[in-house]
Amino acid sequence: MSYVLRTLTKKQEVDSVIRDTIDKVLVLRFGRASDTVCLLLDDFLAKSVREVSKFASVKLVDIDSEDIQVYVKYFDITLIPSTIFFFNAHHMKMDSGTADHTKWVGAFQQKQDFIDVVEAVFRGAMKGKLIVNCPLPPERIPKYQLLYKDV
Amino acid sequence: MWASALLIDPLILWLSKGLLPAAKTRDTYAGVGKGMGFWVFHMAGDWTVLKLPSEFLREAQTMATLADSFLADLDELSDNETDLMDEEDAEAANMEEDVDGDLADIETLNYDDLDSVSKLQKSQRYADLMQKVEDALQRDSDASNQGADGGMVLEDDPEYQLIVDCNSLSVDIENEIVIIHNFIRDKYRLKFPELESLVHHPIDYARVVKKIGNEMDVTLVDLEGLLPSAIIMVVSVTASTTSGKPLPEEILQKTIEACDRALSLDTSKKKVLVFVESRMGYIAPNLSAILGSAVAAKLMGTAGGLAALAKMPACNVQLLGAKRKNLAGFSTATSQFRVGYIEQTDVFQGTPPALRMRACRLLACKSTLAARVDSTRGDPSGNSGRAFREEIRKKIEKWQEPPPAKQPKPLPVPDSEPKKKRGGRRLRKMKERYAITDMRKLANRMQFGVPEESSLGDGLGEGYGMLGQAGSGKLRVSMGQNKLAAKVAKKFKEKNYGSSGATSGLTSSLAFTPVQVDSAFSSGLGQWIELSNPQAHAHQLGSGTQSTYFSETGTFSKIKRT
Repeated sequence: MSYVLRTLTKKQEVDSVIRDTIDKVLVLRFGRASDTVCLLLDDFLAKSVREVSKFASVKLVDIDSEDIQVYVKYFDITLIPSTIFFFNAHHMKMDSGTADHTKWVGAFQQKQDFIDVVEAVFRGAMKGKLIVNCPLPPERIPKYQLLYKDV
Repeated sequence: MWASALLIDPLILWLSKGLLPAAKTRDTYAGVGKGMGFWVFHMAGDWTVLKLPSEFLREAQTMATLADSFLADLDELSDNETDLMDEEDAEAANMEEDVDGDLADIETLNYDDLDSVSKLQKSQRYADLMQKVEDALQRDSDASNQGADGGMVLEDDPEYQLIVDCNSLSVDIENEIVIIHNFIRDKYRLKFPELESLVHHPIDYARVVKKIGNEMDVTLVDLEGLLPSAIIMVVSVTASTTSGKPLPEEILQKTIEACDRALSLDTSKKKVLVFVESRMGYIAPNLSAILGSAVAAKLMGTAGGLAALAKMPACNVQLLGAKRKNLAGFSTATSQFRVGYIEQTDVFQGTPPALRMRACRLLACKSTLAARVDSTRGDPSGNSGRAFREEIRKKIEKWQEPPPAKQPKPLPVPDSEPKKKRGGRRLRKMKERYAITDMRKLANRMQFGVPEESSLGDGLGEGYGMLGQAGSGKLRVSMGQNKLAAKVAKKFKEKNYGSSGATSGLTSSLAFTPVQVDSAFSSGLGQWIELSNPQAHAHQLGSGTQSTYFSETGTFSKIKRT
């Protein structure tokens, strides 16, 4: 758990945050504070929150609370940590060459990678797109396998 | 103090104004002190020398300038050679400590008697004032438990007048001490010449001289407590290599006497200061709340009274009491900046050295304000002085705060700042390389109802549009002159056409070429003006085939047969 970033546990909080962030990218990290990869990601998020503060805001969501299970089901979150981007209450998708475009799974390798991703989302969103391309080279994108019905 | 008075001209005015009333009392003293030989006193830095009482009466009013006094000395030197008791006081003039002391060289240093040098201690005025001070101090210690009169006691004038007199007296004592110091120094030079450069302070010097006496081996003398140990060491070392000889007995006697005199003057000055300090709370509570009563008393003394101090601008108050001790030949790089008595306040001493200049200025300003409040008795309780002091303390603390920590700047919003577009000739030239040519423009357009030709024929391939169609009015499309070249050509034309203006207005820039005419034409016409087109020449210069090195028309000037 990062002491700099707020962790949201209630559905109502998450709702209000998504609704109230105007003209800024909203980064919601779904994860657990005890997970190591989560901690890594949280570290990067905490360090860069001030730098991107003019065009993004970062919040952490704890998937262990009951309220949030609705969102877990909706976004189909299975791997920890998952990061979802919103802009003006629209869900922004990003094509990073992986199977799932709706979220970003895993941590980043550098702080600058995270900032680049957020900037790409922002630029696309300002232009009116709902899906953007990932600016990172494929070796820096964390790879994962999705199971479909245990296959 | 008095040295600073001489150096700062406005102060002289104030001082003279402050001291003139006292001068009146001096006259009466002089009347009383007729049998006392001669008088030496100063007015605002002038050393007015008065001789024998008889002459005093004659000359008292006329002697104002230094030059006059010296001329008088010269006259009287020849007259009164036998008069040793009331010695000629050329020496008094020599005792000038100030910057324009070159006049002192005129007179010779031949004083032997201390009394000739310093007269203050024997003066009536001095005695009276000291008596009064003693009484007042006595009264204070007796009546310390009695209730105060409530704040300012100073509507009763005698007390105030006493304070004023004490102020001027302390200035006088200071001057006197300097005179005596010189006297001692001159006498002791035979014994230990280097001591004067090692120990600067007059009182310390007097104490050391008294201690050492005629002793040749300074290491036997115990100088502990008189001087800092570093200086004791230096003194001992220089004494071992000094070029001095022991003094004769009577000179030694005189020197010791002078030292005693200096020390007693010092103690009485301290007494006067203590007295003034004790009264300071009543005279100027606000000023002493800021600076402390000792420094406030000194400032008042130097300025010549509270009213005088109040009238001074703050920049002068800052410099009151500044010592100009630039020993000749020594570097001024380490000399202290210009601070006076304010240097001795605890506020100043408590500020870190980097902030001292600012603190000094601040103190001077606030203390001037407080002095003005006090001179009009605006705040007898001293509250505004305390408020000032608090303000000063807060300001100094604020200066010492570290600057706020620098936080990393957040990145700017992407695409929020428009890119700075550059312009200029260079950019235009660059753009020309990618500009759409006329050919392409024609190819992009089509005429209505006329099918275009295409590269592969029959509608396949690239279309040619209006290019090469009949009726487009152009036989061939060539690259027109681009805008840049047009500008350049225009400039070039102007350059050739317009002359620089030195020629007269009647000259024509058209070429005037006499042309050989056939006999057929020579009948009626003479020469005519051939109009030449300068632009043709311009184009000629541009073509690379023409040789510019060899002239088209000229020939070889000289062909040497080898």
